[in-house]
Amino acid sequence: MSGSMSPDSQLIQYDETIEKALNNIAKLLKARYNFSKRMIALLLLQEDDEITKMAKIREADFPQIFSIIQQTKSKYKDPLRYVITLQCRQRSDQILAGVITDSKKETQLQSWLDQISINPFTGIPILLLVLYFGLYKFVGQFGAGTLVDLIEGNLFENYINPWVNQVTAKLIPWPSIQTLIAFDYGIITLGLRYAVAIILPIVATFFLAFSLLEDSGYLPRLALLVDRLFKKIGLNGRAVIPITLGFGCDTMATLVSRTLETKRERVIATLLLALAIPCSAQLGVIMALLSANPASLGIWAGFVIMIFLLVGYLAAQLMPGEKPAFYMEMPPLRLPKLSNILEKTLSRVQWYFLEIIPFFILASVLIWIGKITGLFDAIINGAAPLMYALGLPSEAAEVFLFGFFRRDYGAAGLYDLQDSLTGVQLVVAAATLTLFVPCIAQFAIMVKERGWKTGLAIACFVFVIAFLCGIILNLLLTSLGVTL
Amino acid sequence: MDTVTELNKSATKAPSTRRKKKLVLVGNPNVGKSVIFNLLTGTYVTVSNYPGTTVEVARGTGKIGQEVYEVIDTPGMYSLFPITEEERVTRTLLLTEKPELVLHVVDAKNLERMLPLTLQLLEAGLPVILAVNMMDEAEAIGRTIDLDALAKALKIPVVGTAAAENRGIEQLKGMVSDYVRKHVA
Repeated sequence: MSGSMSPDSQLIQYDETIEKALNNIAKLLKARYNFSKRMIALLLLQEDDEITKMAKIREADFPQIFSIIQQTKSKYKDPLRYVITLQCRQRSDQILAGVITDSKKETQLQSWLDQISINPFTGIPILLLVLYFGLYKFVGQFGAGTLVDLIEGNLFENYINPWVNQVTAKLIPWPSIQTLIAFDYGIITLGLRYAVAIILPIVATFFLAFSLLEDSGYLPRLALLVDRLFKKIGLNGRAVIPITLGFGCDTMATLVSRTLETKRERVIATLLLALAIPCSAQLGVIMALLSANPASLGIWAGFVIMIFLLVGYLAAQLMPGEKPAFYMEMPPLRLPKLSNILEKTLSRVQWYFLEIIPFFILASVLIWIGKITGLFDAIINGAAPLMYALGLPSEAAEVFLFGFFRRDYGAAGLYDLQDSLTGVQLVVAAATLTLFVPCIAQFAIMVKERGWKTGLAIACFVFVIAFLCGIILNLLLTSLGVTL
Repeated sequence: MDTVTELNKSATKAPSTRRKKKLVLVGNPNVGKSVIFNLLTGTYVTVSNYPGTTVEVARGTGKIGQEVYEVIDTPGMYSLFPITEEERVTRTLLLTEKPELVLHVVDAKNLERMLPLTLQLLEAGLPVILAVNMMDEAEAIGRTIDLDALAKALKIPVVGTAAAENRGIEQLKGMVSDYVRKHVA
């Protein structure tokens, strides 16, 4: 069966010139391919890189084949690829003419919803509503507020931590080992507590909201809506998916950025994710820190958005490579199925949780080693001038250092420090930390996905930009005499 | 009973090194390939609504009829002439893996845009079965598709499915078995 259709029963009959070229090329092909010779000839005619390379090596008569291709090409004013695609499509339409009958269009409600979600005048308010209820209310307040308070404030602070501290103190005589397991930076009291009590509820609520949006078909419409803005920063609307996902977990979003079409887009997306997109864990803690004062929250958000657009714009101007085009499937809007959403959320949370637990434990251990050996003190002391430049006390260096082990870890550290900081200091610290070097997990994925050179370059760039921007923000706020 | 005969069969005629028959799922993004993959293999892969989730090639095993298959879920592709990296991966896979069966999954609502790929797959001489998926959604927008006429025109088996509702999957499995029995010795 395979590859041996007789010529007269050909499924697609191209025009005479192409058919002749196909037959002649097919006759010259001597090597064995898993595709029919006719298809290999078709791909050669369309100058497919891979197949051409293959044929060049394997076919003794390649020069003749090449001249057939050139002759055929010269007979058309359009590229052969276009001509062939068109004729294939015409044949397909011809087949379907007797197969498909359409009676009515999509439902009124569907087309209405479709319209208002894509039209900028209604689409942007809808987007803001989705962000407000989906992200701020549900993830920010319910997940990062109510649930975190319940698990962390209640369960850990009142029951688990005191108990672990007590037991550790009783069973283990060496203070250095005690601090590895319990007390301020222990594996259980810090690492596991952060993972279970802070990250889990935030990530679970985020993934639930995201799955809902995903299954309803809203995301592709959002992509269409923001396409024009995204083009300015060197991306196309399709990038809205990794970028939005970044608000959940930048590490995962960096993985997903491989769905972008060009290398250039993938690099820009990776850079923006590393720099200006706070993940859900960070977002939760920063919201909690700054939401007491709407002005602080406004300055932070405005500043980070500005950096996002500015860096994106500059990257788009400076990066070589082809500009993105936009082509995306538009699935219909549909009512999501609860079972699908729950299953999806569960598998994501599970994947994420299993992935981060080792990092949290590792981070606790590294912090412990750093503390015991005095390495951290040295780094923190060394970083003191940098902190002063940011207008922050030297203890803030600790937050940034821990921030690298897990961005949210750093933000949560800031939470502990908040009483001793002024409003301006909090905003500067929060902004710098948002921009600062991604967590160690994201760094690892960056290197894995983009390669050592690009990954490292992005990390260095982000490091410099984060502190530079922090210093500028601090200068700006203090010289303007802003008090928050 | 079934498993016993299967075991006996493989014990008598099958050397342990015999290669599993390969079934490759291809199609545009967003047509429900992953759902069908899960139904055929019983392995969980995140099912997604936006293009490009299936970036990595997922492989699983599943028993269809009497035969155990290696089922391969490929990244979305629009044409045999690749533009994106994902499409290149899929074509390379088709070029190198010698599948016993290529299951082209299409969205019934967008059949017009997807059928050209079926034609290309057939022109490449691949052993194709066409699964017209999301029949329920097509019906909901008032579309009827004459699957028999389509099968006749293409000279290949065509099956209508609504994978998310588990509709048509048994029929699909039956077609796979018949096809492989007839065409692969």
